[in-house]
Amino acid sequence: MAMAIDETPTVDIDFSASYNTTATTTTTTTTTTEDDLGCCNWNDWSPVVDLDALSGDRDDFQNLFESMMDENVPNPDRAVENYNSPGSNEAMMMMIDEANGGDDFKGLRLVHLLMAAAEALTGANKSRDLARVILVRLKELVSPTDGSNMERLAAYFTDALHGLLEGGGGGAGNHIHGKHMLGNGPHHLNHRDDHHQTDVLAAFQLLQDMSPYVKFGHFTANQAILEAVSHDRRVHIVDYDIMEGIQWASLMQALVSRKDGPPAPHLRITALSRGGSGRRPIGTVLETGRRLVAFAASIGLPFSFHQCRLDSDETFRPSTLKLVRGEALVMNCMLHLPHFSYRAPNSVASFLSGGKTLNPRTVTLVEEESGHAGNGGFMGRFMDSLHHYSALYDSLEAGFPVQSRARALVEKVFLGPRIAGSLARIYRARPEEEEAGSWVMWLAGAGFRPAGISFANHCQAKLLLGLFHDGYKVEELASNRLVLGWKSRRLLSASIWSSDIDV
Amino acid sequence: MFHHKKPSTMNSQDRPMCVQGDSGLVLTTDPKPRLRWTVELHERFVDAVTQLGGPDKATPKTIMRVMGVKGLTLYHLKSHLQKFRLGKQPHKEFNDHAIKDASALELQRNTASSSGLMSRGVNDGNVHITDAIRMQMEVQRRLHEQLEVQRHLQLRIEAQGKYMQTILEKACQTLAGENMASGNYKGLGSQGIPDMGGMKEFGSPMNYPSLQDLNIYGGDQLDLQHNMDRATLEGFMPNSDNVCLGKKRPNPYNGSGKSPLVWSDDLRLQELGNAASSCLGSQEDPFKGEQIQIAPTNLDRGPEMDSISDIYEAKPVLQGDPMGEKKYEASSAKLERPSPRRAPLQSDKINSVMMNVSGAMPQGRNLQYG
Repeated sequence: MAMAIDETPTVDIDFSASYNTTATTTTTTTTTTEDDLGCCNWNDWSPVVDLDALSGDRDDFQNLFESMMDENVPNPDRAVENYNSPGSNEAMMMMIDEANGGDDFKGLRLVHLLMAAAEALTGANKSRDLARVILVRLKELVSPTDGSNMERLAAYFTDALHGLLEGGGGGAGNHIHGKHMLGNGPHHLNHRDDHHQTDVLAAFQLLQDMSPYVKFGHFTANQAILEAVSHDRRVHIVDYDIMEGIQWASLMQALVSRKDGPPAPHLRITALSRGGSGRRPIGTVLETGRRLVAFAASIGLPFSFHQCRLDSDETFRPSTLKLVRGEALVMNCMLHLPHFSYRAPNSVASFLSGGKTLNPRTVTLVEEESGHAGNGGFMGRFMDSLHHYSALYDSLEAGFPVQSRARALVEKVFLGPRIAGSLARIYRARPEEEEAGSWVMWLAGAGFRPAGISFANHCQAKLLLGLFHDGYKVEELASNRLVLGWKSRRLLSASIWSSDIDV
Repeated sequence: MFHHKKPSTMNSQDRPMCVQGDSGLVLTTDPKPRLRWTVELHERFVDAVTQLGGPDKATPKTIMRVMGVKGLTLYHLKSHLQKFRLGKQPHKEFNDHAIKDASALELQRNTASSSGLMSRGVNDGNVHITDAIRMQMEVQRRLHEQLEVQRHLQLRIEAQGKYMQTILEKACQTLAGENMASGNYKGLGSQGIPDMGGMKEFGSPMNYPSLQDLNIYGGDQLDLQHNMDRATLEGFMPNSDNVCLGKKRPNPYNGSGKSPLVWSDDLRLQELGNAASSCLGSQEDPFKGEQIQIAPTNLDRGPEMDSISDIYEAKPVLQGDPMGEKKYEASSAKLERPSPRRAPLQSDKINSVMMNVSGAMPQGRNLQYG
């Protein structure tokens, strides 16, 4: 499929004429244009987008959509069946089921509309006008603050798609949210911190209280680190993205109170800091450092904090790191936690490969677990993304069904921007440049050795999840990998590695 | 397998007075009558549980039916069963009920499987007894480890919570300063954590300091609602002005002992004075070295940070030696001063504020620090 999307916003289609022609041609040319996708026989998918009906002016569209919204829409299952991307049928039904107990039908309609809009944006018969109309209709139906999970989710997806439509990539981010850098390389969009700091803080606190994602990532990594350095006097952690340094509070406490090995080892943390863009609203790396210093002092842990500058293109150079003999080196890489900013793959890769040359004792990696990335092109990944965030929304709702405003805040501050950023990246990814499937695979391929997840670590994860809704599950997918999921959807993966050479 | 030692002391000396009801149950006579699990009662309980296939399979309801003891409620049985499953004596308590529940399932699963092993081992003859004992020890080790994990988890969660508090406190103080600088006086006292109000409702399992009720969102967020209107998804506006919530006064740190956010009117003026003076003070040379030390701002934007970072890198303040820590202490008093550089957008407002409050003297900035 032509993912070489023209970035120039020229509307290339004459509205009325094109659909007459495409209506006739699509039915015959589906196989040639779509077969590489292996999915999206959109043109068979008449119940929702009846292209034959699209002749003439807008009124027809209006009628068309009225009919879509109408109770008389034919059996949606038929439409679902026609969408062949792997696993999508069950995925979609599950997503809808999860989303609305009582409102499945409406949820399904929203999904159909979203799919139609996405397809209109990027499919072989793409038409920006069609997409625009669909999005307008969607906007009438959904709101980011009201309604069911599916509706709110659809609102953010709508907005993200709208951003793609208008801005040629990532426009939505401008409007809603401030923290994200979209895309990689020269396509950075630096947003002002549109979110007020209190919002961000509040949302973060809420996120932590309502869901185990953050704690799971932090605690699993910390436990692995603790075990790896249990007999060391000096520990040095290099943190790729320290954010507020929250992960380290519990590690410090654990180090101070550890029973075996030398008590209260000296802990050194080096945080990577980035240059100009992507200001976090809550504080800088140095702020974080000060806080950590104070906290360590309060519990009596010998501690020092350093900052290490990344290059302007966010590449990590190991030589910029100060190392001390005899210290146990740990590379800590938290990615994709809900409140994190996007980091470009090149940067992450430089961190991990650079780290490898330093022979770390342990490498901890936490990343989003994506569905089958890769195949399916834009639509496949769009659906995957929809499913992913739907599970995320549901997990929040299940635990806190009443506190919809709190959830709306978290969605607004963190999840919404991620959706926009994520879609923008998918939209602009060229087929050969796949967003690194997963860093786990990358690490395995780069020669890191998986280190085991201990019984205690796994047990801790289970106990942690036990504090939350029982829909959360932890699986041990590999000897070194724990994956947190909601119901049947895997969301976050924590894995432990060491370098090949035994230190 | 289960160490159900007989409930150890049933002496009435170290227990409140017990009376025997006519149903045969022993109840205490303290204001809230509690059930005493006597030896006999407990044995009947264990019998019933075994009949039902073990603590795993038995449910309070079925146990109640099987035991057939009048006056015994589901509530009694639920808690006793849980304790039984954990294999602890009835009078011990766990700190965190929620973690106990989670671990209870774990432990019970382990012990159930081990009891299966045990019975097999014994039946097969002497040779297997040592194996069985080894397995038993293994299982016990696991149980012990699990309890350790549970304890550690609690401590770690608490540590994280404490750290979060430091973030929140600092942010609120800075914000209070900023808000004053920006001339926003609405409900200034509650500006500290307007949205934090959201957190109370969750009955957070983490026992975070409980915050105000989420109703705060309801009444005062009309502007926010507006902005989120779906018809105008663009044009979201930073809602710094909207989050002042006059309704309730947040007292977010109930349990923590220090309440840096309980603003009194006096404090507000202090803040005002502080902000003003710091604005005044460093307005001329925002990037001079001495000033830099004062104000690590939370809301720096753009290019300013680089210069600050460079300067900080040069100083050994953060290198963590005891010297560094002391320096931190010493300079902590200054850390909270809101920086005028923080809000280039609001410099006009700052100016106007300064005009207005140039009279207010900043006494003890230290007041901020409790």
